[in-house]
Amino acid sequence: MDVGIGLRARHVAEVLARRPPAVWFEVHAENYLGGGPAIAELETVRHDCPVALHGVGLSLGSAEGLDHRHLRRVRALVDRLQPRLVSEHLSWSIVGGAYLNHLLPLPYTADTLALVARHVEQAQDALRRPLLIENPSSYLRYRHSTIPEAEFLAELARRTGCGVLCDVTNVHVTCRNFGLDAGQYLAALPAETVGEIHLAGHSVNDAGGRPILIDDHGSRVAGPVWDLYARALERFGPVPTLIEWDTDVPPLAVLLEEAAIAGRLGRPALAGARGVPAA
Amino acid sequence: MSPLRELQAAMRAALLDEPGRAPVTAILDDGLGAEARLAIYRHHVLDSLTEVLGATYPVVRRLVDERFFAYAADRYIRRHPPAGPYLFEYGAAFADFLAGFPPCAHLAYLPDVARLEWAINVAAHAPDAVPLDPRALQGLDPTDAPRLRFGVHPSLTLLASPWPVDRIWRANLPDSAETTVDLAAGGARLAVCRRGEQVVLDALEPAPWALRAALAGGRSLEEAAAAALGLDPGLDLAAALRALLEDGTLIAFTLSPREEAP
Repeated sequence: MDVGIGLRARHVAEVLARRPPAVWFEVHAENYLGGGPAIAELETVRHDCPVALHGVGLSLGSAEGLDHRHLRRVRALVDRLQPRLVSEHLSWSIVGGAYLNHLLPLPYTADTLALVARHVEQAQDALRRPLLIENPSSYLRYRHSTIPEAEFLAELARRTGCGVLCDVTNVHVTCRNFGLDAGQYLAALPAETVGEIHLAGHSVNDAGGRPILIDDHGSRVAGPVWDLYARALERFGPVPTLIEWDTDVPPLAVLLEEAAIAGRLGRPALAGARGVPAA
Repeated sequence: MSPLRELQAAMRAALLDEPGRAPVTAILDDGLGAEARLAIYRHHVLDSLTEVLGATYPVVRRLVDERFFAYAADRYIRRHPPAGPYLFEYGAAFADFLAGFPPCAHLAYLPDVARLEWAINVAAHAPDAVPLDPRALQGLDPTDAPRLRFGVHPSLTLLASPWPVDRIWRANLPDSAETTVDLAAGGARLAVCRRGEQVVLDALEPAPWALRAALAGGRSLEEAAAAALGLDPGLDLAAALRALLEDGTLIAFTLSPREEAP
């Protein structure tokens, strides 16, 4: 089973020393767009293990359009690293020249779909490769949204040729927060478009007496998310899967344990044909 | 303005709590209320950017304590949100902000400590550059030397402070042996840059510091030499320049046009 972990600064030295076998690494593109030793270290990692680039800064849903200077910098990084996968988010972060450092939700309308499709095409043209677009975790919905998120992603993929990065934790979080059916969500994603899966920990918080789930990437993957992951594998087949952890980052060994769990869950999917339920 | 643009501008005003902001009426209450939902996002925006500032300014954070730092960062982020997704470029104006922030006016040295931490951050993330090969200067006519101007390594910052900021900084590193700093010990003239993979702080005498500052500011060798020799007539200029070539500070040169004869 094809499992990776998000590579964080505090683990780089250990990864270089230990070269853990049978995993690949994903990094945030924006952390490698300056000078200094970080990029050289990443190139060393890349000698032995595949590396994927995960962007958080393109702001594909910004009404004011893409930042082409940023796109050029990402392109230079893609050219240099030749990553196995390049992904971004179905969200926005930039308005009026301010970058709000959050993957903010979009209203899912026909107009938004046309805008995001245009930006995905511009990005794919600039990077000269298809992108995977990730579903966000949401804590709010807009009154004028008319298209369910999974259908929005399916149509985006159909129009632009992009793939989908299915963040199973985000599916769980969003569906629980709004009383939606996570199984239906997965069923609305065309299996052949899903090119990667993300898994991370989330927290359950109390908001005025009702639970609200927040995807804080700060703990082990929760039981219900592992269950949903098993269902995702039944539907999508053995797609590359990544363990993410960003707050209170634990020792590397903990991430490798999580990756091993994903690997074990992935074996039945590997045995079955893609898209055919194993049961 | 498109409806999406309007919505995004309203979201920004709400997340940064800009004065006179209006409720974002497009958000569904969904049993919790739009404001409570926005607060979840606002918390993440402010919290994550406070972490970014704390990572760039660990000594400032330690000097003022965690809670005061979070308060100052919150004010700073609302007034100066990041201009782009490169968070290692975020926080350039924090020292100036602290200098004008009344609650820490009694810590007169704090803005200069922040300037030093910003210089260290710039040095860590500056693009790589190839040092100037001294042989490139060998073909020059010695009479042209005064007209030389140099490009300096992009990681270099020259910092002068009336406070011993380098000692304050070192004393506040984790595991520092030094625990007290005499604030009356005098100021510091520092060159901060990256050599290889290492960020280095050099404490300099006034004349070599002035030479570097003038060259880094784009002044000609003649002007830079005058500034340095004015502070120390005994300065060995040739040796000082050799040192700049050897440590990789200089990366390029140009000759400014000869002045027209009258």
